Amino acid sequence: MYLVLFALLVFSTCHCLDNNEENQDPCGLLRQWIETSSMSVDLNKEGYHRELTTTVELSPDAFSNVRVLLVYRWPRGVYVDPFQLASMSAQRDWQILLDSAIDLELPAHQTSGFVTFVYPGLSKLTSGPLKVTIPVHGRYHMPSSDGEAFTFITIEAPELLLRTETCTRLSSLEPHAVVNAPCTVNNLTTCGWVQIQQNQMIGPISFQIPVGDGSLVVPVCGGTLLITLICCVALTKYMWKHRIVDA
Amino acid sequence: MERLTQPHSLLCLLALSLRLFLIAYGQYQDSRMEVKYTDIDYHVFTDAASFITQGESPYNRSTYRYTPLLAWLLTPNVYFTAVFGKILFVVCDVLSGMIIYRILCLQGLQSETACRFSSLWLLNPLPMGVSSRGNAESILSALVLSTLLCMETRRLTLAALFYGLSVHMKIYPVTYALPIALSLHRSAPTAEGGERRWKSLIRFIRGFFNKDLLLFASVAGGVFCSLSALFYHMYGWEFLYETYLYHLTRRDIRHNFSPYFYMLYLTADSRWSCLLGLAAFLPQLSLLCVASLAFHRHLAFTCFLHTAIFVSFNKVCTSQYFLWYLCLLPLILPHLHLSVREGLMLLLLWFSAQVIKHDLNLQFEAFLSVESALMCFLCSQALWLGPAYLLEFKGLNTFLWVWMAGLLFLIINCFILITLVVHYKPAHNTQRLKVE
Repeated sequence: MYLVLFALLVFSTCHCLDNNEENQDPCGLLRQWIETSSMSVDLNKEGYHRELTTTVELSPDAFSNVRVLLVYRWPRGVYVDPFQLASMSAQRDWQILLDSAIDLELPAHQTSGFVTFVYPGLSKLTSGPLKVTIPVHGRYHMPSSDGEAFTFITIEAPELLLRTETCTRLSSLEPHAVVNAPCTVNNLTTCGWVQIQQNQMIGPISFQIPVGDGSLVVPVCGGTLLITLICCVALTKYMWKHRIVDA
Repeated sequence: MERLTQPHSLLCLLALSLRLFLIAYGQYQDSRMEVKYTDIDYHVFTDAASFITQGESPYNRSTYRYTPLLAWLLTPNVYFTAVFGKILFVVCDVLSGMIIYRILCLQGLQSETACRFSSLWLLNPLPMGVSSRGNAESILSALVLSTLLCMETRRLTLAALFYGLSVHMKIYPVTYALPIALSLHRSAPTAEGGERRWKSLIRFIRGFFNKDLLLFASVAGGVFCSLSALFYHMYGWEFLYETYLYHLTRRDIRHNFSPYFYMLYLTADSRWSCLLGLAAFLPQLSLLCVASLAFHRHLAFTCFLHTAIFVSFNKVCTSQYFLWYLCLLPLILPHLHLSVREGLMLLLLWFSAQVIKHDLNLQFEAFLSVESALMCFLCSQALWLGPAYLLEFKGLNTFLWVWMAGLLFLIINCFILITLVVHYKPAHNTQRLKVE
C-alpha cells in the first residue's frame, strides 16, 4: 500500500515538474507518453496459422518525433515467415527486424526461440491507435507419449519501448527501465529506449495445436509398411506380367 | 508461309498467344489486386539474378535452391524487363508442346491425331497458368522431352547433352538413366545350348559396354560434371548444398501427401528413424528397376512410370511434383486402349481435377479407365483435403485421418498405374509378351 502511495507521489511530482518545465525539458513529453500509453494483444484465426494483433494507444496525439518499438520474444513453438512478411510489405505500415535466421521446417524441439523488433510506421501515428498484425505459424511438436492430442504454446505480450531524439537523459525517467535496442530497422547501432512497465498487466496468450499420438507408433508403422509393400508387390506383378519385349 | 497455316502451327500460335495474354493479365493483376498472380518463386529467381548482375552469389538470396544457370539465364530480368523470365518459360512451354507433337508423329501417329494429343499440353490451363506465373518447370519439361525426341531419332550426342542439362537443372531425371541405359543395351548373341546363369549375367553386363552407351554416358556425364565443377568453382559448397544436397537430405515432417508422412513424424527422433527411412526407400528403388526392365523399349512410358512411382512412393510429396509427369502424359495417351466413353470421361475428369488440384493444392495423380475408380478417386481427394484442412486451419487433431487418406491415395495411384500398364498397347515395333 505504502509502495503504491509512494509511486503515485513520485508520479504526481514528476507530472508537476513536467508541466512547469515542459518547454525546457525535452523529456517531458516522452514522460507523458510513457504514463498514458496502453497496449492490448489479441490472437486471431485457428489451427497452425494465427495472427497476433498488438494495439498501442499513445496520448497526447502530437508525436512528431516519438519512436515506438515493440519487442516480441517468441517461444520455440512458433515462427514467423520472413518471406511472407516481405511479400506483405506493401500492405503494412510497420517494419520488422529478426534477431536470427529462421528455419521454416524444423519441429519445435529442434529449434530455439527468437526475438523480433517491430517498428510501427510513423506516418499513421497521428491518427488513432497503432495496430500491428503479425502472422505466426505453429511448428510441429514432438508426438505425445501419454495420448494427449494437443499441446499448448504460450506467447508473451511484447515489450513496449519508446524514445525521442531530443530526450537523452533517459535516467531521469525512472522508475521506468532503460534498455538498449536497435535504433531503427535499418540501423543496427543500439539506442537507449524506455521500457513501459505494463506488460505484466497483459498476461501471456496461449493456444493449442494438435500433436501426433506417440502411442500409435507401432500400428502406424505397421500399417504404412504393409500397405506400401502390398502396393509395391501388386505394381511389380502387373508391370512384369505386361512387360514389353522385342518383336 | 504454307507451314504457318498448318493446323499444328496454328495451334502453337494460339497456345503462345494465350500464354502471352496470361502474362499481360498477370501484370495487370499484380498492379491492381492484393492477391498476386506472379509466383513467389519468380521473385526469388529475379532476386538471385540481380545478385549475379552485382557479381555476387545467387545463393545470397535465401531459399534460392536451384542451379545458378537459372539465375544466369534470367539476368535480362534485371537489365531489360522483369517479364523476360516469364516469356522464356512460356516459350519453353510451347516448345514442349511442339516436341510432343514431333515425338507423336515419329511414333507413327497421323498429323491430325498428333495435333489433338499435343493440344492436351498446349491448350491445357495448368501448364499455361504455371509457366505464365513464372514457374521454371517448363524449362525442365522442354529438356526432358528434347532428350526423348533425340533418343527417338537416335541423335545420341544431342540426347546426352539435353539429359545432362536436365539432371543439372533438377535432380529427379537422374532415375531415367536406368531405362536409357537399358534401351541402349546391346545383348550379345546367345551361346548355343544351355548357359550357366553367371555366364549369362556376364554377357548381360557386357552388353552395356557398347559404343552408343559409352558415348551417351560420357557426354551426359561430361555436361553434368563440367557444369557442376564450374559452379562449384564459382560459388563453392553452397552451390552443391542448395542445388543437390538440400533436395536429397530434405526431411520435412509436416503433413504432406506422402503415405509415409505420419510414420516419419512419429519416429522422427527414434533410433529406428534411419531404418524406416531405408524401408521407405526400398519399394521406390525396386519399382523403378522393375519399370525400367519391363518397359525400357518405350522410353516415354518408362519415364512416365518412373516419375509417377517416384512421386507416389516418395517420403515428401507436394502438389508441384505432379507437373513432372504431366508433360509425358500426351505421349502415352494415344497408346492406351480405352473405349471412347471411358477416354472422354477420363479426359474430362483429368482436366477438371487438374484445376481443382491446382486451386486447392491437392495432390492429384491421374486418369482412371473405369467409372467406379473415377468416383473412388474423387472421394479420396476429398478425403485427404478434409482432414488436412481441419488439421492445419482449424487445429483439430486429424493426424490419423490424414495418414489414412494418404495411404488410400497411394492405393488409388497404384490402381491407376496398374490400369495404365494393362491398357498400354503400343501399335508398332513391339508386341506384348504372352506370359500364359
